[in-house]
Amino acid sequence: MSEKYRFDTMSLHSGHVPDKETGSRAVPIYQTTSYVFKDTDEAAALYNMEVGGHLYTRISNPTIATLEQRLASLDGGVSCIACSSGMAAMHLVVSAICSSGDHIVASNKMYGANINLLQHTMTRFGIETDFVNPNNLEEIEKSIKPNTKLVFGEVIGNPGLDVMNVPEVAKICKKKNVPLAIDATFNTPYLMKPISHGANIVIHSLTKWIGGHGIAIGGALVNGGNFDWGNKEKFPTISGSHFALNGISFWEEFGPSALTAKIRAEGMYNFGPSLSPNNAFYILQGIETLSLRMKKHIENTKMMLKFLKENESVSWLRHPDLEDHPDHKIAKKILPLGSGSIIVFGIKGGRDAGKAFIENVKLSSHLANVGDAKTLLIHPGSTTHSHLSSEAMKMSGLTDDMIRLSVGLEDIEDIKIDFEKGFKAAAKISSNKC
Amino acid sequence: MYTNFKGNKVYFSTGGLNLVKDNETLCFVHGAGQNHYSFTQQIRYFVSQGYNVIAPDFPGHGFSEGNQTISIEEDMLWLVELLAFLKIEKATFIGHSQGCLTILELAEKKPEFVRGLVFVAGAMSIPVNDFLIDTSIDNPEKAYDLMVTWGQDNYGSFSISDWPGHNHLAEGNAVMKMNDSSVLSKDLKSCNSYNNGKQAASTININCLAVLAKFDMMTPLKKGLQMVEIIKQCDYKILECGHFLPIEKPKELNALIKKYLNTLK
Repeated sequence: MSEKYRFDTMSLHSGHVPDKETGSRAVPIYQTTSYVFKDTDEAAALYNMEVGGHLYTRISNPTIATLEQRLASLDGGVSCIACSSGMAAMHLVVSAICSSGDHIVASNKMYGANINLLQHTMTRFGIETDFVNPNNLEEIEKSIKPNTKLVFGEVIGNPGLDVMNVPEVAKICKKKNVPLAIDATFNTPYLMKPISHGANIVIHSLTKWIGGHGIAIGGALVNGGNFDWGNKEKFPTISGSHFALNGISFWEEFGPSALTAKIRAEGMYNFGPSLSPNNAFYILQGIETLSLRMKKHIENTKMMLKFLKENESVSWLRHPDLEDHPDHKIAKKILPLGSGSIIVFGIKGGRDAGKAFIENVKLSSHLANVGDAKTLLIHPGSTTHSHLSSEAMKMSGLTDDMIRLSVGLEDIEDIKIDFEKGFKAAAKISSNKC
Repeated sequence: MYTNFKGNKVYFSTGGLNLVKDNETLCFVHGAGQNHYSFTQQIRYFVSQGYNVIAPDFPGHGFSEGNQTISIEEDMLWLVELLAFLKIEKATFIGHSQGCLTILELAEKKPEFVRGLVFVAGAMSIPVNDFLIDTSIDNPEKAYDLMVTWGQDNYGSFSISDWPGHNHLAEGNAVMKMNDSSVLSKDLKSCNSYNNGKQAASTININCLAVLAKFDMMTPLKKGLQMVEIIKQCDYKILECGHFLPIEKPKELNALIKKYLNTLK
């Protein structure tokens, strides 16, 4: 009999038991490209995906598989594929489901690279996207066309922090027989599991809170196993005959795991966005303390919100846990433990004051990442979203004075003192202007 | 592969290939609340070994439509009629769990169809406790959860899988959810009411194989060994896993079946 372990136990144990030969308690790093076949029979079986196992690390690897199985269990999915980055995971999902002539409905409040991929890159391959307000349910439903093959959004939008009403969007997608893929990077499975709210695919940038220490780039997609791919006209490369594996139907042969089987056989095989075993190991170390870190991230975020709210240099403040956030009610419902540790705020004095603030903090690092153990800051208008037009920036809810703060695990009193220094420098700029 | 059988759309997996006229046939028979996905890691493997494989979804299970059969005897008759419809005269039958009861019944009543028999995590009877039957009626999803948890050894607890990235507890649940929600309770009742297993086992005159699970909570090892004793020529092997043996120990099971099939040649 197996046990149904709880989150913290799964974070430490899923996907691995002590190695039988060596007794290694830690997950071994299988730093190898390939695996010796026992015989030609086994080699053929592995190539054809008749049985499980590893043949080449571009496609799978035991250390990476431990990470995948741990993520699948934490998210309540049937299977998972880990890959080189969150963007690679997103591309794997889109390319597995969509072909030229297909259509996607996506949130217009997403991470800039997600928007870029759909708006500019995929259109070159004949895949069109309509961008919609993630919480305008009517607009989402109306945008779904007969050739729509995917609805995509983020639980917590980056960097605008809009919260998607995942359960309601999932109901629409189910009715329309379109899979719902959700980027859950900002919440992690500790704060919210999209599959339990009806989503079909979960995408993570493992680089962020899941890895948690800013040391390894990685991504993953978790398959909920809860979507019916059986419509051959609509999903011909999943339920119809496919060139890989002698023309089989992934849906008929792999059922709930059809999507990941296809991605393993086609996406990992042909595109090769594999994660390195070393990075898988680093990310696994991060997962072991995920719940501890997320609790502290949330606790520090609450204190920072209070501090910023009371600070005279702050012109506006946005976080889904604040009552004045437009998605506060949704956040309360689907993110009861907290809505993540990203805060966005504006600095009085606009762009120059913002620049002065960022250049005068010392503990908080100015860089292009979130979800590190350390507190991070960025000015999206001049960095992550600088490639977007003003109109597109507005669509994503961005302004010139906006600072994105990723609250770390430091003693929050030290971060407050650090911020005071930054605010002081910003105020000087602001008063000079007056 | 789909066919129209007795007025209903019926699905049987062939591993994605057409049946070849002169190849020997292996017929995989799934257990209670399951469907052909129980044998994902067997079907295409044995197709590659040069066998015709058919793994039918019984009515109401997986992709097959039609009224569900409600006894082991009916299961057996439906299977025999399907084989005749597909012009398969003889096969080696590999049953898992409830599927073992079906092939026991087949071995006694229709021995002319049987080339060989493999019992996977099976027994001559599978009594089901009232709690599980009641739960399968009142709250099928809870019953699925109980079954996949009871059905797997530690591999399930720790999401350990030879299949990279797979989480068998969730996958087991997802497979059961593909069936109509009334399927499991009817299957469990079929198992519970079947009492001809001992008689059927005693009539078997061919060499058989039983692959049993040491930590089986659904059909305990003790009951599997009782079946081995009654069948005149039944080799057996015990694997260190739970009831969902085809998923937990696929390579070991495939090797044992392959060895057994060679003895039939």
